Amino acid sequence: MPILPTTKTPPKPSLSDLTVLWYGQTKIGKSQTCAQAEGAVFLATEPGLNALEVFQAPILSWEDLLAACAEIGEGKHPFKTVVIDTIDNAYKFCTDYILRKYKVEHESDLAYGKGYAIVNNEFQRVLTKLAFLPYGLYLISHAKEIEVETRTGRYTRIVPTLPEKARKIVLGMVDMVLYCDLDVSTGADGEPLIRRVIRTKPSLYYEAGDRTGRLPETIELDYRKFLEAFQAAGAPAKPQAGPKQAK
Amino acid sequence: MASAPIVSTYSMWSLFRNCRKAAELRYLQHLVPIERDRNLHFGSLIHECLELWHRQRDLALVLDLIDRRCAARAQDEDQKRDWHLATAMMRAYTERYAEEKFEIVALEHVFEGPIVNPATGAASRSFRLAGKVDGIVRIGGEYFILEHKTASQIDCDYLERLWTDFQITLYAHYVEQTLGIPITGIFYNILVKARLQQSKGETEEEFEARRAELLAKSKTGRTTARRREPESDDDFQQRLAEKYADPAMFHRERLYLSREQFDILRAELWELTQAFLDARRRGVFYQNTSFCFNYQRPCPYFALCRSNGNPNVIENFYQRVEPNEELRVLAAGASESAF
Repeated sequence: MPILPTTKTPPKPSLSDLTVLWYGQTKIGKSQTCAQAEGAVFLATEPGLNALEVFQAPILSWEDLLAACAEIGEGKHPFKTVVIDTIDNAYKFCTDYILRKYKVEHESDLAYGKGYAIVNNEFQRVLTKLAFLPYGLYLISHAKEIEVETRTGRYTRIVPTLPEKARKIVLGMVDMVLYCDLDVSTGADGEPLIRRVIRTKPSLYYEAGDRTGRLPETIELDYRKFLEAFQAAGAPAKPQAGPKQAK
Repeated sequence: MASAPIVSTYSMWSLFRNCRKAAELRYLQHLVPIERDRNLHFGSLIHECLELWHRQRDLALVLDLIDRRCAARAQDEDQKRDWHLATAMMRAYTERYAEEKFEIVALEHVFEGPIVNPATGAASRSFRLAGKVDGIVRIGGEYFILEHKTASQIDCDYLERLWTDFQITLYAHYVEQTLGIPITGIFYNILVKARLQQSKGETEEEFEARRAELLAKSKTGRTTARRREPESDDDFQQRLAEKYADPAMFHRERLYLSREQFDILRAELWELTQAFLDARRRGVFYQNTSFCFNYQRPCPYFALCRSNGNPNVIENFYQRVEPNEELRVLAAGASESAF
């Protein structure tokens, strides 16, 4: 059977086809927001979903995650969106799995940094395979501050809590990087007004991005508002940046 | 109307030769990583110091420059490390080379010239070549390009490799063309980076753990072990000074260039320009995956290539900066505008 395509793939029109990274401070409402996604099933790598009524599979190891992914891949279920909550813990499980497999205590125990590379390759392999499935893939992460030294000085940046190399892998494969934040403004009465928002465009001070180009810069942290904003834009709001070979 | 030729540099041709994709990302898309490479900071600092020293021959000015470039050393460990190393290195260098056998002709000399087709002698309408040499010196009646280098160690391989230095041979050719000075060869001025680290001492817990270990091994059940204190700045400077008293920490090497080398180089450079134009015309800049981990670290564009050019990666990890930053001229010690 020929493997080469005969038609172009259309842009993914539905949120449940996309891979999205959600990150933000603890208890801001990331899981709650993702729980409202169509046909969401949580692969819960950490406790914290007790207050939510969701379909969840507790994941206690990388093997558990692989088994759950295999079952999802078979397609004998009603779910449409897979939520890994949190991807940070999934990465830790992946690390533990590799350490056990190679019978070492730390990644650095394998010569020439090989341990780190094996962990990252396994992590990327599984996420890529999951992203190819015909379901939405939502990855949840916490936020941390790091100091970045640039050509013009040092500044503090908010980024997902994944280790640096894993962060670059995840950011490189997702369609959206959504930073859940608190937006402080002054209300009509002069009092501070605090809103929970999703930031969708990158800044010097946090990581974010939307390669579909459909989302406005800031949206209220509410899945319905997010869905409305995504669907309101029939076509990309901006041309896609990036090299010509971009997928 | 024909557009003005692109001003190219050695860095551009070198990158294009190593990986066409990386050259496209840097020189056509103008992308550079947001985070600065720490390894480049020390090299730039020493180049500035050497320029100032060879211009003024005043150690106090050099040390003042290091102080200012590492102004945040009290809070910043990287700057503190650079400050210690640069201070000790320049103190020892100025003592070692208090008297020079060469005469400085020019320092931080910027040049620009045409790239010529060796077959026809016609200049390229698409590219010119620009660059900056650390200096030009006269030894006896001969002129040499002065090239400063900092190295982790100087061994046989390192010195052998100097012969393959495409950049400096190219620069020699252009200096000869633009200044009309016959260049005999290259004068390499190599400074070795000491690998010493300032001791941080040990915490109470670390000391107790070490003490317990020693006690367990002791036949008398006693130990004279004391908690290691952090090494003071003065003590560390002293230790570095002792290290730099070793003559092997500095090395100078003269290489002579042949006219044949210039001819080979001009031909190679012309070929590179034609390959670049062809790649740009067809919009094909392929990756050289053998180069992704050159120098035992990932290429600055590795994350972007791995993501197949995902805009999220571009927007979060890269910024757009005009190419040829190395050609910006700012004299060492030049004071910046107060307002």
